[in-house]
Amino acid sequence: MSLGALDRPLLIVVGSGGVGKTTLAAALGLTSAAEGTDTLVMTFDPSLRLKDALGVGEEARDREVAVEVDTPGRLDVSLLDARRTFDQLVRQYAPSDAAAERIFQNRFYQHLAGNLAGILEYMAVERLFEVSRSGRYQRIILDTPPTRQALDFLGAPDRMVEFLQSGPVRVAQRQWFDASGRLAVKPLKILGKSLESWLDRLVGLDLLREMAEFFQAFGPLYEGFRDRAGEVGKLLRAPGTHFLLVAGPGGERIPDALFFARRLREGGHHLGPIVVNQMHPELPAQLSADGDVAEGLRLLSWLGDRDHRGLAELQALLTTRETLVGLPLLPTPPTDLAALDALGRLLLETLAAARS
Amino acid sequence: MTRRAGLPARAGLLDRLSHCRLVAVTGKGGVGKTTIAAALARVLAARGRRVLLVEVDPRENLHQLLDVPPSGGAVIRVDARLWLENVQPVRVLEDLVRQKVAVAALARKIVSTSVFRHFAEGAPGMKEMAVLGHAMQVARGEAKPRVDVVVLDAPATGHGMSLLWAPLLVTEVLGKGPLGRLAGEVADMVRDPGQVAVVIGTTAEEMPVQEALELIAGLRERLGRPPELMVVNGLYPPFPKHTGRVAAGARAALALWRQRREVNERELERLASAWRGPRVDLPLLALERGPALVTALGDRLVSALEPAVAP
Repeated sequence: MSLGALDRPLLIVVGSGGVGKTTLAAALGLTSAAEGTDTLVMTFDPSLRLKDALGVGEEARDREVAVEVDTPGRLDVSLLDARRTFDQLVRQYAPSDAAAERIFQNRFYQHLAGNLAGILEYMAVERLFEVSRSGRYQRIILDTPPTRQALDFLGAPDRMVEFLQSGPVRVAQRQWFDASGRLAVKPLKILGKSLESWLDRLVGLDLLREMAEFFQAFGPLYEGFRDRAGEVGKLLRAPGTHFLLVAGPGGERIPDALFFARRLREGGHHLGPIVVNQMHPELPAQLSADGDVAEGLRLLSWLGDRDHRGLAELQALLTTRETLVGLPLLPTPPTDLAALDALGRLLLETLAAARS
Repeated sequence: MTRRAGLPARAGLLDRLSHCRLVAVTGKGGVGKTTIAAALARVLAARGRRVLLVEVDPRENLHQLLDVPPSGGAVIRVDARLWLENVQPVRVLEDLVRQKVAVAALARKIVSTSVFRHFAEGAPGMKEMAVLGHAMQVARGEAKPRVDVVVLDAPATGHGMSLLWAPLLVTEVLGKGPLGRLAGEVADMVRDPGQVAVVIGTTAEEMPVQEALELIAGLRERLGRPPELMVVNGLYPPFPKHTGRVAAGARAALALWRQRREVNERELERLASAWRGPRVDLPLLALERGPALVTALGDRLVSALEPAVAP
């Protein structure tokens, strides 16, 4: 069986938190390797259970780690760590070790490295770009960060360029503070007081000085970062890059799925199939049972109805170009490679059936 | 653990929450955190407190649960004692500056300088501090709407964590000036268990429980205290000991129910081994996401926390 609709060099799994993205990414990775394709699964924060199932530990934060599995293709896993990736980039682009050290020591860097302008998201695509360019894998499957705005990373390269062009870095390339440590802007008097004294009263000049220092230290990294961010943006829109959109089953997640689909299309990205995951089964209308069992079955039956109604509503709201499939809620989350492979195959079979 | 001496874990917990200035509901994405925050806000309002429910997310969600129009940054009145506000951090920060700089023309000037804009976007913890600062002022009656308590639907963990630590960080870098003083007041408020309560929402599944346990550790480390309450959402009903005769068409569903419940029980046990404080377990309900679900979950919160006065 081939990967069919998912037979692409780069698959990016997106969706809201808690819908099973990470498990699906791992499952597809295994199935892809079983089909003879050398595959890398990049993920953020897999559960202990999933790490155990794949047999990888913390070492995967530093490098790609091979999963011990007897498949025709190789399967590697790596864990994304925004802070480490950022540190590596600073080292790579800083003109000297001393300059890199200056950035690392800056309090702003220490606090911002995980926070600034979607850096976590940017670092994910940055690392993806690095591995993708190395050509070591025939297929890469990227699991995206577990944030509510899970698509933030799509805009991350553009945002980074914008930040570098018009943001504080550019601003700081002017000399904000003169040699005596005074604010060096053109004397702007407001109500008889200088801007400096107002800002000093409001937030304190020490803070602004430290900020300026941080952004100045970033100056030399500017060119390298900008070019890189541009290329990363291209990779995300490349013909071989497809997005697998995963949504939860309840009616409330429909707006989420529509939102993701629209954002992807508007951004010029290739939207692959949409998977509504973790669906409760539909039950026959009349079920005879006693007491507690009957009550539990009524709940399950309601959940099954809700999930299938949600799937139908979503189908009605989508254009015909998109493939939409439902995957059942598994009785237990996969705890070993065999269960993961079974899930991957189930997804492929479901997709193949939906297309035929 | 800083359990208050002599008090059983649950006694007066709702009273305590309703006399806080801020109740922050946090946890992993997808566990129903927003629904829990809405239910809690309704419960506190039903106890006679005036409550503002605050959401910090450009994609508005809360209004659907309460059946009111989206906030768009404005304060929406839900009923006699409940308001809703979707907070945009940079706007709130600008408001704070306007407030601290009494002359309107001058404030406009400062807010429009590029130095200030970069400061608002770039300074660590500044936006988060502004959100909490706004909540504090509202709860003190210094800003509208005048309420007694703010319930904050905090962003998912990670960001939710930094939201609470932010003012501590800001006071570290921002010693002086009116904003520095405000950050100091917010930091004092966050450190005070009488003023700020943290409620963790989770489901009884592996990753959410993992994050809940990490959140407890983070709270202990940074604020020196545990959360006030853990709410476990979306539990499958206990599986009956005897199922009797069941139609063939329902067997797979029964197996699913039994196994999902086993996952729930295993994770509840893991949670219980690390968290012995107050906990409320909420069942999966056959109700669409909306006002009826919020009311039903609120009722269950009350009957779990105050069994004596429950109807």
